[in-house]
Amino acid sequence: MADPRLMDQAFHLLMGSIVESGIALHYSELARALGLSVEDGRQLLHAVMEAYPIGWLHPETDYIASFPPLNNLPTQYRVTVRGQQKWFAQCGFEATSVTWLFPGTTVRVEAPCLDCGDPMVLEMRDGQFLTVDPPGIVGHLNYGFGPSRGRPPFL
Amino acid sequence: MNLFRSEEHARRWALFNSQSEEGFISLPDLAGFFATESRHHMLEPDYLSAWFPRRGGERRAYLERIGKSTPFWLGTPSPS
Repeated sequence: MADPRLMDQAFHLLMGSIVESGIALHYSELARALGLSVEDGRQLLHAVMEAYPIGWLHPETDYIASFPPLNNLPTQYRVTVRGQQKWFAQCGFEATSVTWLFPGTTVRVEAPCLDCGDPMVLEMRDGQFLTVDPPGIVGHLNYGFGPSRGRPPFL
Repeated sequence: MNLFRSEEHARRWALFNSQSEEGFISLPDLAGFFATESRHHMLEPDYLSAWFPRRGGERRAYLERIGKSTPFWLGTPSPS
């Protein structure tokens, strides 16, 4: 287990980078930012992801796929802030949490319905809905939470 | 964990799990579920050590408060 303070620093840098640019730092960039060797940065990344298991690396790689509530790998949940669409939410549920990463700012989430492909739009600011279109949008959990929930990346 | 235009759209989804009828959640409840206290601190320097560990308890308490206290929502046991 890495030093908890170092893991906090790493997490903060990763979250800050994906919020700022839509892309989380690579472990080599993380290492440089923390004054570590590249290999120590890679190991630190794995330690952080182990401590934050709601995110994940792409299988068999050291690449961050998901760093919720945002995703490094594009999903159908496109997020626009200040007119720029450069983020993706991990899933439809986490999409409602992206608002907390951009305080005081309108966050727009656009996604096609997986049934019909027609668009859905949410706009939120500081946790409050500004737009819900269509008004009947619902969330759906296809498998239960927990160990038997199925394929986590595809929930 | 997806959003759909309505429950009927979800049920028509090609990958809809027929055992997930209890998996629907209204948008206001969903926003509340993802607005528990720890969520407000995701940008803080000590989030991983100080706030993330609280997340599980907050989620459970919230789900119980909105009546989603079944194993499906609170965490199903391992199939083995």
